[in-house]
Amino acid sequence: MPLHVDAVPTAILLLAMVPLWLPVLLTRRRVPVDPAAAVRAQTRRATLILALLLGLVTLSPNGAFSYLTLGFALFWQALGTRVMGRGIASTLIGSALAAAVAAGALALQWPVLAFAASTVAIALRVGVFPLHSGIVALAERSPATLTQVFGATLVLVLEHLRFTDHIPFAYDVAPWLVRFGALVTLLPGLMALVQPDLRGYLRTATAMHGGMILAALGAAGRGHEAAALMVMLTTTFALGGLGLSIASLEARVGPVSLVARGGRVQAFPRLAAAFALFAAAGVAMPGTAGFIADDLMLHALWGESVGSTVMIILGAAALAIASLRAYAAAFLGPAVSSLAPDLNRRERTVTTALVVILVILGFIPGVLLTPADLFLNASDAP
Amino acid sequence: MLIHWTLGLAASLPFLSALVLGVRVLSGGSRPSERFAFSVVEGGLSLSLLATTAVALQFGGVLGPAVGGEVSFGNWLQLGSYFIPAVALVDTAAVALALLGAVLTLLVARFSRTYLHKDPGFHRFFVLLALFASGVQFVAFAGALDVMFAGWELIGISSAMFIGFFHERDEPVRSSLRTFATYRLCDAGFLMAMVAVHELLGTTRLAELPRVAGLPSWEVELIAGLLLLAAMGKSAMLPFSGWLPRAMEGPTPSSALFYGGISIHMGLFLLLRVSPLLAAAPATEVVGVIVGLGTALYASAVARTHTDAKGALAHATLAQVGLILAEICLGFTTLATVHLTCHALLRVFQFLRAPNTIHDAHRIGHGAIAHAAATEAPTTGVLWRYGVSLHRLRVEELLDRLVVPVLALARRLDRLDRGLRRAFDRGAR
Repeated sequence: MPLHVDAVPTAILLLAMVPLWLPVLLTRRRVPVDPAAAVRAQTRRATLILALLLGLVTLSPNGAFSYLTLGFALFWQALGTRVMGRGIASTLIGSALAAAVAAGALALQWPVLAFAASTVAIALRVGVFPLHSGIVALAERSPATLTQVFGATLVLVLEHLRFTDHIPFAYDVAPWLVRFGALVTLLPGLMALVQPDLRGYLRTATAMHGGMILAALGAAGRGHEAAALMVMLTTTFALGGLGLSIASLEARVGPVSLVARGGRVQAFPRLAAAFALFAAAGVAMPGTAGFIADDLMLHALWGESVGSTVMIILGAAALAIASLRAYAAAFLGPAVSSLAPDLNRRERTVTTALVVILVILGFIPGVLLTPADLFLNASDAP
Repeated sequence: MLIHWTLGLAASLPFLSALVLGVRVLSGGSRPSERFAFSVVEGGLSLSLLATTAVALQFGGVLGPAVGGEVSFGNWLQLGSYFIPAVALVDTAAVALALLGAVLTLLVARFSRTYLHKDPGFHRFFVLLALFASGVQFVAFAGALDVMFAGWELIGISSAMFIGFFHERDEPVRSSLRTFATYRLCDAGFLMAMVAVHELLGTTRLAELPRVAGLPSWEVELIAGLLLLAAMGKSAMLPFSGWLPRAMEGPTPSSALFYGGISIHMGLFLLLRVSPLLAAAPATEVVGVIVGLGTALYASAVARTHTDAKGALAHATLAQVGLILAEICLGFTTLATVHLTCHALLRVFQFLRAPNTIHDAHRIGHGAIAHAAATEAPTTGVLWRYGVSLHRLRVEELLDRLVVPVLALARRLDRLDRGLRRAFDRGAR
């Protein structure tokens, strides 16, 4: 199988490596970040194999081979999550199988099946209603592993945009995907407003972003690939960072309720700042990748369905309010003292890396998006 | 070329100073001194004021040939035919707001150095102040709706954080949430209008807005209505006025700058910017006039019954803001610009003097109030008006009643979701 190095897939692969390796870097400490110790299942060796498989995926110019390798990689990742619950593992295995089906369909020149299978694979991994149970359970049980799952999903989305969305069926089905994506963006956005704890907030934020990704993938079928890629990138880094912040906080203080004020900002100022930045990026704050992603996506969606655009704007507004509520409940209020330290050096490095990526993509998005748009538009149909 | 540099510096220097101070505070080691924090932000704000003044001088033709209209910085992002233009618009309104913002922010920064001395949130205050200053410059000089929205959001976020500044108490945090919720819901109007303008005109550049005259009237009315909604939220027009008295929970200097000086007028500035669009939407103009005059009446009545100085002042400000909205919607844009500028200057002064006003009232005010109460027996009508004004027409309760079913729906959905996930977990086992 000939391999080919392209700048855009390589850049996306490098970006995907960041969330992929973060949990590994963090768990090298004696005290694991995740209280459930679930991240132990993701050893460095497992991550290395996963990284190599994903590297192979992005280097291959052949869609069937890429999807087959992806199927292996995703299956490998799913095996590592068995200890977290069968629901989670079965969702991720289902996603791997869907990727394998997409590979077979591409090999047999059945583009409609390939598109459908690839879309299902992504929907399962980003937590789109009603396929969200496994991923939101992962968000509740191990936010750090969720970050890693998003890293691999970024590569899956790239392959989807490269090989399966250049077909007439993708064009025809786009308005329906957009409408459904918008609906499943608005509902979790509303649900985020009434969550009693921080993990519930992360769960609904994940489901809401899943809806946004589905809508963006729908719009990609009509030529807005860069918007879909940017939405996935933002989700990966903003939600990934948010998951890591929540995991770090809970490792120090246990489960965090949103019913009363926590008053932790004086004890954990850096953690509070990290949480605020990631949450803000997730709700399109100017200066972060989220702002560009929202702008691109809304322009892409308007042409397909005005009502869907309105639903997504309202869903994002609801999540923004829920984010400030979560921040206020977790960090503001009468100061409480804590013996636990603020973010340690390793966690600071990880957080800084994620923030820098989000800010660079927010200020100079063209660095990645302009070549990515050219590359994805130039990709041939299968 | 000089105009590019000065415009860039005016908007970016306050942001950079916020970044420097924020990174220094969070980077560990000993907490930086108040002097350092103030110097960094004051430096950024002073240089920004200098740059803004240079822009004003270039606009006035003092530094060579007069520079005005659009100043392009290329595109923020370009993907095929789609692009986000990085363009500034230099005109009288922009220069007036930018200068006003830069001067008032710097003055308030100097005032706050003493006012917040030894406050635990000293550093946080100056980071937020610098972010706000950057947001104001972005809004003032924005030549496209996308760029303006970026500054608009910075102002909204810093405003919400200032209201919750004294977060040890519960009320400021709740007020901050309420304000932010109002902003975000009304900002949805801005976003929708922005996307619609891009789709219909092919660009969001403000200089291209007069082209809306060629669009069907219902589309123009819809876009203008959405922008009016955004302006109503930011400027606390009826029925969104409930957050304004709550916003007084923040420190006095930030109240002065936000709700006396700049932020409360931002909605009006947006409408001034899109006045060609408003002029083509007569129905929206009528709504704007009704909302403006209604808010002016409401705020005048409430200001007379408010028992705290800042709250009364906030409603007095709102009354004038309502009048300015009516002026804009009646087409008196020059009058509105002058009114806005003079009003902002007066209110900042009054807000900064609010603590002294309270002191004065304690010394000399009570006697006059007691005399009035003894000589004028209120009639039933007066008492009714007083009661209604005291409860602010119960507008907030009305809005709360609209939110309750939405939250009830969210709770029902959440319960349904939890049930589904339990069933899924059982199935997986």
